[in-house]
Amino acid sequence: MSDPVLIIGAGVAGLTAAVELADSGVNTIVVEKLPTVGGNALDLYKAFPTDDCFYCFEGNRWRPGIRKCFYRSALIDQPNMDLKINSYVEQITGNSGKFEATIHVGPEYIDAKKCIMCGLCIEYSSAFSLVSPQCQPQAVTYDPDKADEGDKKAVEECPTKAINLDAQPKKETVSVSDVVIATGYHEMKPVNVDEYSYGKHPNIVTQLELAQILDPIGATDGKLLRPSDGKPAKRVMMVQCVGSRDENYYPYCSKICCVYALKHANILTEERDASQVSVVYMDIRTYDSHERYYREARENGVEFVRGRVARVEPKDENELDIIVYDSLLDKYLKFTVDLFVLSSALEPPEGMDNIIDSLGLNVASGFIAPADLVSENEVVAGDHIYACGTALGPAEVPESVTQARAVASKILQNRK
Amino acid sequence: MTEADEKDGPPVVLVDPIDMSKLDSEFRNEIKSMPYGDELNACFACSTCTAACPIANVWTYKPHQLIRMIILGMREEVLSSDEIWLCLTCFQCQERCPQKVRVTDIFFDCKNLAAEESKIPETIVGLAKTLMEKGQLYEVTADWEREDMDLEPAVPGLSTNEFKDIIKATRTGKIVGGEE
Repeated sequence: MSDPVLIIGAGVAGLTAAVELADSGVNTIVVEKLPTVGGNALDLYKAFPTDDCFYCFEGNRWRPGIRKCFYRSALIDQPNMDLKINSYVEQITGNSGKFEATIHVGPEYIDAKKCIMCGLCIEYSSAFSLVSPQCQPQAVTYDPDKADEGDKKAVEECPTKAINLDAQPKKETVSVSDVVIATGYHEMKPVNVDEYSYGKHPNIVTQLELAQILDPIGATDGKLLRPSDGKPAKRVMMVQCVGSRDENYYPYCSKICCVYALKHANILTEERDASQVSVVYMDIRTYDSHERYYREARENGVEFVRGRVARVEPKDENELDIIVYDSLLDKYLKFTVDLFVLSSALEPPEGMDNIIDSLGLNVASGFIAPADLVSENEVVAGDHIYACGTALGPAEVPESVTQARAVASKILQNRK
Repeated sequence: MTEADEKDGPPVVLVDPIDMSKLDSEFRNEIKSMPYGDELNACFACSTCTAACPIANVWTYKPHQLIRMIILGMREEVLSSDEIWLCLTCFQCQERCPQKVRVTDIFFDCKNLAAEESKIPETIVGLAKTLMEKGQLYEVTADWEREDMDLEPAVPGLSTNEFKDIIKATRTGKIVGGEE
């Protein structure tokens, strides 16, 4: 039997590749650094272009499942998938179909097979938490950095004895035939872009943070509230290209921020009763058929100001005065807003360098580039090495899924 | 607040921004509710209208800026601008608009709103007066041309009285009447 396929990252792309391969009878090892699968998709609330989790709607209708558990049945029922959470790949050696990967597997404090998510341990200690009721694996997580006295009581009283605080990390070395890099993206925390004062006022947030405010399972139950005082936020301003298309940060266009900013603007005006939503932009880049989000936003009365933010000034603890230069009018406009949302650049995730170096992969702006830049095989990063999803650069969910399926197809073709 | 009161030095920003809260955010809805305004919000500020306009080069506010000003709620500035009256009504902006905004028609709406508030340039009122008094804007003056062509000095059968009566009963009559 052939060696399994190593998939790094259990987000939309990684899990799609894993499920497609596993369903085709290929053994897969999925390495995820976080305690749950799903990656950034978990935090999106509604993903474009379906305005819901893509995976529920395309191709996988036959699987039982609802939003945020798109891979639940596969992860539970599919024996060909070996998921390692809280883990990362330390190094990969070898080449062309014969790789040795060293995986650092995080301590298994909670036995996911035993945990019934009763929440008792969460009451005793803040070190225990539940990422989401629909998290996968279905178990609470334990953060040793927050350990306190309540831990012992939680261990003793856990009804299924699922907690083992003595668990140790271990190293596993596996032989794999192919490597799939699906490490995703990270939304830049724009602390260095001084003009937007991010981090200096609670009501200045990024788009991903706004998505979490809008999420019904989030801290505010989906209500649009000001982080400063919990009062309803009525006036919202968004600013595009924060750190993207900027030689001081990331020279590339992050590609999807325009669309999700508009998606959020539409949710704010249609579902959250915001009275004034403004978007400050240089260019609105709603590629493909996503132009409909732009049109819809304009019909909803969203104010689009072409220009840049001149100055952000906290009016008081809850409100911000924002002066914007409108380059179409050649005038300065002053807005008072409750929430200031930055469409921050999407950057490569940290900790990719040693894998990229040891495998000798091409890099473009920090993301993985195809091995052959002129071929149309954008998912082929090397000999038996593939990349899919936002590991290749900012991409939308359907694109990540398509690329992941292309990777599965390539691997299956090689195996005959 | 105290800090602002104590401010003695130069201002932090040397611009005097337009305070959005002082603008009329209902203005766009007012225009939208008028006969030609329903596509107003579709504007995405591409400035095709300004590119199409044969005379915008002499305008302080270009057509795309006027539309922007309507959307932002700069009611006062739009309705008292000369530009809405300078418009040639050639409809090129409207023909070319990629989002089907009825730019020229919206300027007509603006003119009507401005007229309701008696914000009409003197020259336009003058024209209305001529129309009321003479029943026509362009009188035959250079009758030597008619003479050269062997025509009688006055236009035969031209009667403007009926038209004068009609125009007196219209809004034009009110505009001129209001001025007197």
